This record gives sequence, structure tokens and C-alpha cells, in this order.
Amino acid sequence: MSDVAAAPAAAGNKPKTGAGPTLELVLRQYEIEQFYYEEANTLDERRYGDWLKLFTEDVFYFMPVRRTKTSKDLDQEFTVPGTVAFFDDDHAMLTARVKKLDTGYAWSEDPPSRTRHLVTNVRILADDGKELLVHSDFHLYRTRLNSEEDNWIGHREDKLRRVDGQLMIAERKIYLEQTVLLARNLSSFF
Amino acid sequence: MAADGGGGLTQFSGYVDVKAGTVDRIIFSDQAIYEMELERIFARAWNFMCHESQIPNKGDFFLSFIGEESVIATRDKTGALQVFLNTCRHRGNAVCRAESGNARSFLCTYHGWTYGLDGKLIGVPGYKDLYHEELDKDQWGLIPAGKVASYKGFVFATMDPDAPDLPEFLGEVGRMGLDTCAERGELVVIDGVQKNQVGCNWKLAVDNVYDWYHAPLSHASAFMSGYLARESKAEGAEEPDPAQAAKLQAAVAAVQAKGALNHRILLGDYGHAIGGPRVTKENWDMLALLPKGASLHPMMDHRWRDSPEARATLGEAGRDAAGHPNIFPNLWLASGGTQLSLRLPKGPHCTEIWWFTMLTKETAEAERVQQIRQANHVYGPAGMLEQDDGENWDQSTRQTGGVVSRRYPLNFAMGLGRGEPTTPKISGPRYIDSPINEYAQLWTYRAWAEWMDADSWASLKQHRTRTPVDAV
Repeated sequence: MSDVAAAPAAAGNKPKTGAGPTLELVLRQYEIEQFYYEEANTLDERRYGDWLKLFTEDVFYFMPVRRTKTSKDLDQEFTVPGTVAFFDDDHAMLTARVKKLDTGYAWSEDPPSRTRHLVTNVRILADDGKELLVHSDFHLYRTRLNSEEDNWIGHREDKLRRVDGQLMIAERKIYLEQTVLLARNLSSFF
Repeated sequence: MAADGGGGLTQFSGYVDVKAGTVDRIIFSDQAIYEMELERIFARAWNFMCHESQIPNKGDFFLSFIGEESVIATRDKTGALQVFLNTCRHRGNAVCRAESGNARSFLCTYHGWTYGLDGKLIGVPGYKDLYHEELDKDQWGLIPAGKVASYKGFVFATMDPDAPDLPEFLGEVGRMGLDTCAERGELVVIDGVQKNQVGCNWKLAVDNVYDWYHAPLSHASAFMSGYLARESKAEGAEEPDPAQAAKLQAAVAAVQAKGALNHRILLGDYGHAIGGPRVTKENWDMLALLPKGASLHPMMDHRWRDSPEARATLGEAGRDAAGHPNIFPNLWLASGGTQLSLRLPKGPHCTEIWWFTMLTKETAEAERVQQIRQANHVYGPAGMLEQDDGENWDQSTRQTGGVVSRRYPLNFAMGLGRGEPTTPKISGPRYIDSPINEYAQLWTYRAWAEWMDADSWASLKQHRTRTPVDAV
């Protein structure tokens, strides 16, 4: 279903011995969480150009289609890269999406939506010193016009890369809980 | 037939004024009219189920809808296509919950009545001890569609056994619409159907299929974002020399300059139509300049239309008709025949939009990845174009419900009275060459009224308007 299953188990937040977490792990956890809080704030303040700077040039930004499947077919619940997806973007495509919002003609976001990105349950699944595999849960609340409301809840699997001392997103896979999306569009970022 | 919408009209045709080019707003928000649509349009028409490539094997199934009713499209043990209402005959529970998969039978999870892939009731717990073998199982199978058929791989079903056969229902124009997909080669639907709900009346989404007037403004931000230029670049070929590239650029500009003035409309039986750009001499000149082996966005690549087979199938009218076909009531053949969109009614103020993406079996791997990505980027709720459609339709629907605003009809009068049909030299449907217009939209509403006024297929067949001979 996702990268989590394939992640090396030993590399997570749990210390290898029976002892409590080391200061090093606590600091790393803090660093990653702060990175996500800043990112969420950037989106909620609609600073999309700044948000774009968080992605590496080779980024893959992907949101598969999810299907209602019986338990025996759960391995086919999500579509995979190379098939149909809601987001299937490289850096140029993400840039185009941001440019679209900046044109002054992006009617789906004008008047702009009011969003709040809540990020939680951050778990570091792997860390080879250069790249980290991180799971996070999110709740994206959107309201717009007078009474429109959308709620998207799901989880993300990110590959975060250390580039010149900065964390950058090298891959983001977004998994929503809904199968039929109960929203008129996906003009927000996740 | 009276509609309880408050207009006091005795006929639905009163809501559509084809002479003035107006449509009454009440048909987009009235609950009673909506319920009549479910009965007189969706329960009567041939509805698109899925593509055969989605259910290639025995027991494969795909859940679809006829109106608001869940239906199972499957293949029985003989390989024959079957469509049933997804409801147990005992207490009505759904017998299939997954969107797609493979089954040996359909088990009702309430009490265990079990149905074969041919719909027959094959298992009843307590059949001997509790029913005393007195239940006639032959009478209590799943409720089958009146008719099921495939046209070149596209599976349709109608609940009405009196419906004409599928090719007759489609008529020349409906068949041509499906041919514009099928003539590309053997099609395969790519895994994944995008689904989302928009707060609009289904007819406003359907009307938009033919609407080329909205694109420059509705989708301005997508065009300005630069993504189209990037995705429509000819790829896979050697770089042309600069002189050739300049020629090609000039040719593309020539096509675009006259885009809005060169449209072709075909108005077919029972409300099917094709409306949108015509492939002009400028298009063909541009395509001739493409480097050998270059692939182009399917919406602009019309080269397949020139094969002897495609010419024979599409005929004079179809060869250059590059607009959007809609199979009445709600199947849009989009993206140059490489995507399908269903607009499923979920109440007068809600429509569920489904997107299917198709490729030909022969598509090479590199091109395949590129084409799927292109499809993912254009339509669907995150699509660069479609993002901006939903709110317009939602707001349009809301403004049809006001007690005052609904006294004022909507305007479909663009180009009215100026569309002169041309009769092809040899055979095929008549067509109208014209600048952008609203003929196909008005045709759809006119057909809608005829479907709604007819109390049976016999009546609809008798009273429907045929493809116009005179100016529309």
C-alpha cells in the first residue's frame, strides 16, 4: 500500500536499547515537527512562493485515487504512480499550480479560501543521514465564501532531504481517507 | 404531464423556448422535476456502465449508477455482460460493496441470499427447513437491466426493455462520438476512476461539455500558468532546425487566431450532440509541419483522423469534428477521445463527477507515462482546468432556486438562427459550421423536454425532433 511498510523498522524514533529516547532523537523529532509547523503556516498565510522553496528540483508530489475494496483486495486500495492520480506532479507542475494562483484569474481561490493545516502524529520511519522517511497525519480545513466547508483528513509520507543544512521535501505522497471526494475541487495544497 | 414546480406548466417543453433561446431556471433546482428526470430520463435511457477492458474476466465487476441507483456491471461464467440493480430481493440490502473486483457470486451480508454472476438466486439459508422449498428461486433473482450492450467496448445498460437497441439509440451522432475514441485503436482504461461531488445540477455540468465560450475566462489562470505550453510541446522527436521550429510556431498561432470562429456542431437523435472546434486547413498545415515521430497532446493531435479506416468510419462530417461529444444524458467523451466523464445525479443540487482515462494498447511506454500525467493534470478535481469549473456551476445552481431570480430564464441565444446545416455529399449526419455558438446546449435542453414530456419510449420515438434541416 505505501512506503511505510517497506521502511526499515530500526530507523524510527524508538531507541535500539530499552533505554529512553536520546537527546539526539528528541532534537531531531523537534526539528522535523517545527519544519512541518512552519510549512503549514506558510500555506495558511498563502505564501505559495515560499512554500515552493521547500521542494527539491527532483520532487515528486503525488496523491493517488483511493477505492472502496474488500479486505482481500486492500493491496489495490490506492492507485500507484504511472496510473490515474489526483496530483501527479514534478517541480515544474507544482510551480505552474503556484503561478496559477498568482495570476489574479484563479477563480476557485478568489476570493481566497481560508484554510488551516493541522499536522500531527509525526513519526520518523527511516533516516540514513541524508534523507528521512517521515509519516505525518493531517487535517486540512477549508472554508470559503459564506458557508462552504471542506475537510480533508489523511496522512502523508514524505522523503525529507538535508540540502546545505536545510530540510527540503524530495517526495510527498498524500493519502486521503475519502474515496469519493466530497469537495468541488482540490485547489488547496497538502 | 404537470410539474409541481410552481410554473403551472402542463408540458416540460414550456420550460425550453427554442425560438427565443431561453431555458427556465426552475428545471435546475426543483425537486419534483428532478424526481421525474430519474424516472423519464435515467431509468429509460441507455446509461454508460464501464469499458469492457475494466471487466475483462469472468466474475470481474464494476459498480456504476443508473440515476441514483447502484448497479453491478459484471461478466457471467459464459463471458456475457450482465447488469443488475445492486439490491437483494429479500430485504433490499446491497449485495456488492466494493467499487470493483472479482467475485464468484454476490452474497447479501444481511441473511445470506446468494446470487450467481448471471443474477440467479442460487443460495437461500434455510431453504429446506425454513422456506420448506416453497420459494421459487427463479422468480427472485437480481433485478436485471432491460437491455445490456457494448458498442466498440463501451458498455451501456437501460432499465427499460422497450428502449431501442443501443446502435439505434446512439444514432449517427452518438456512434460518431464513441467512434472518435474507438478509432484511435484498441482501448484500455487505466487503473483509477477519479470521483468527486460538486454542488450543482447535473444538467449544468452536461451543458458545459459544449461550452467553448467559458474557457478563455474560466480557465484563464490555467492558460497563464504556462503549464499548457509545456505539456503541449511536441515530444519524442529530434529537435527541428530553427527555421522549421519558427514555421511550426507560426502555424500554431494561425490555428489559435481563428479557433473561436471555426466550430462544427452535430445535433443527433435523442439529445446526443458534438460541439466544438473544427479541424481546419490551418490545423492540417500545422500538423504536417510536426517532426516525424513527434507526439502531441491528444486534444491537438488529429493525425489519426486521416487514416483510411478513420476516414471511412467518421465520414465527411466527422473527420473534422474535433469538439466534445456527449451521449445523452450524461456521458462526455473528453480530451480528444482519451478520457470519459460521467455526470451522475445525486439530487437537484449535487452531481458526482467521474473521470475515466483510456489509452490504446499500442501506446509506447514513454508516451504512455506522459499521456497519463497529462490527463491527471487537466481534469479531475485537482485538474488545472477543472478546478475552476465547480464553483461556477455550484453558484449557477444556487441562483436558480430564488423565488425572484427564477422568474428570469437563462440565455442560450448565442448565434441563434444563424446555424445553417450542411448535408454531406455522400452520406452521414448533417453538420453546422459556425463560430462558437450554443446550438448543442439548446439542443440538449430541447431533447430533455421531449424525454420529460414522453410517457413511454413509443411516445419519445414518435415525438422527438430530428436533426434540423433548417437554420437553428
